[in-house]
Amino acid sequence: MLSLNHIVLRLEEFSLHDITFDVDQGDYCMLLGESGAGKSLILEMIAGLVTPSSGVISLRGEEITHKRIQDRNIGLVFQDYAVFPHLSVRANIAYPLKGRFNTDEKQQRIQRIAEKLGILHVLHRSPVTLSGGELQRVALARTLVLEPSVLLLDEPLSSLDPKLKASLRTLLKHLHQEGQTILHVTHDLQEALFLADKVVVIEQGTISRSGPPEEIFRHTGSEFLDHFTNNLNPPYQI
Amino acid sequence: MKTNLLNIIFTLLGALILLFIVAPLLGMVLATSPETLFDTAREKEVQGSIWLTVWVSMVATILFGIAAIPFSYLLARKEFPLKKLVTGIIDLPVVIPHSAAGIAILGFVSRNSVVGQIGSSLGLDFVGHPSGIGIAMAFVSLPFLINAARDGFAGVPVRLEKAAMTLGASPFRVFTTISLPLAWRNIVSGAILMFARGMSEFGAVIIIAYHPMVTPVLIYERFGSFGLTYARPVAVLFIFVSLAAFILLRSLASPKSKFNR
Repeated sequence: MLSLNHIVLRLEEFSLHDITFDVDQGDYCMLLGESGAGKSLILEMIAGLVTPSSGVISLRGEEITHKRIQDRNIGLVFQDYAVFPHLSVRANIAYPLKGRFNTDEKQQRIQRIAEKLGILHVLHRSPVTLSGGELQRVALARTLVLEPSVLLLDEPLSSLDPKLKASLRTLLKHLHQEGQTILHVTHDLQEALFLADKVVVIEQGTISRSGPPEEIFRHTGSEFLDHFTNNLNPPYQI
Repeated sequence: MKTNLLNIIFTLLGALILLFIVAPLLGMVLATSPETLFDTAREKEVQGSIWLTVWVSMVATILFGIAAIPFSYLLARKEFPLKKLVTGIIDLPVVIPHSAAGIAILGFVSRNSVVGQIGSSLGLDFVGHPSGIGIAMAFVSLPFLINAARDGFAGVPVRLEKAAMTLGASPFRVFTTISLPLAWRNIVSGAILMFARGMSEFGAVIIIAYHPMVTPVLIYERFGSFGLTYARPVAVLFIFVSLAAFILLRSLASPKSKFNR
């Protein structure tokens, strides 16, 4: 469904080379790597915010490498949520709907997604009054309201406390079970084990391995994976 | 103990600076009786001059702001060759003597210049006309708006603009619905400064247009022809008007809600 072929990105002090992997329809794919490995850049290239130096990105068989960001139908939720602070929660969720639906349908869509993500009670509020967990749900609602082909998540759980983390993990799992294709960037191996049905490991600017999580973590052998598997909490140990 | 002594010294220095600003103004206000002020306020020439100064500066701020605000966004967001030079050019009007700025503008808009000839063909003579006064005011005060707006745009997180684009917004919609509202406080502050600075301009304006007389020129003319006693009430009145405009605009610009950046 989503396919990256031999993607190269050269920046002044960093480069990504030969990034190749596929995400199938309905997959929960986890892009795993240390901080600064270039994971977020991969998401930004898929979303269209950064143009690769070479290589091809395809979605449903259509090349989108140079397609306008606005026409890709790919949803991206940023690590820091990027909820617009000057707009109410309702206006944030309505933002991508402008010019696409009539007023009634817009309101129905907002109600539906807010109900699904448990944020109906904060629709009228300003984002600056919300907790981190609520902000994350607003960011998700704003992205999902357009029913994107692929949902890209940039470290969505990294700045949440353990309780909120658990609740959001469950929500993401639920979204996946409903058929949403998800590509989730993380440096947290436990997240990968709990959520993913496919893991792509990125090390030193390239893909070092990919496959089902059990397979990836059973045969480690890389400094990065060894470090993480040795520090796993008991419930996640393989 | 040392910190306390330092605080005392700094406070004393601050008090001296404040006194330096307030004392001459207060002295001028106290030296003008309410009756004189009232009589001056009723003079047609004074009323016309103050009104001219306020509206020309306002119009200049709005018209030049329409071009300056998108330009400020460009300066905040884009890297381009010779950007430092461009930034330096923007600050030029602040550092050159304003009478020299007036001479430069006169050469630019006089009847012999290309701009002057275009104006003449449209029946507009910039010299001795409010439009010329507006150009002179804008020339010396534009840096205040551009710099404030640029700082405002620079403070808007790029991630919010990126998020808006991934949500399907065009670059124009991102600018008008995200960047502009989030930089609005800085832009309004810059516009108020530009407006106030334009109103108080004397050096550049007097070279472009002695008549019609803006208030700073009227004050100078009364001082030269009749002396301090006649110039002072106009100056006091103009200060009150400027302060009133400043306070009004500031209160209109005060944020209704606070938000995190």
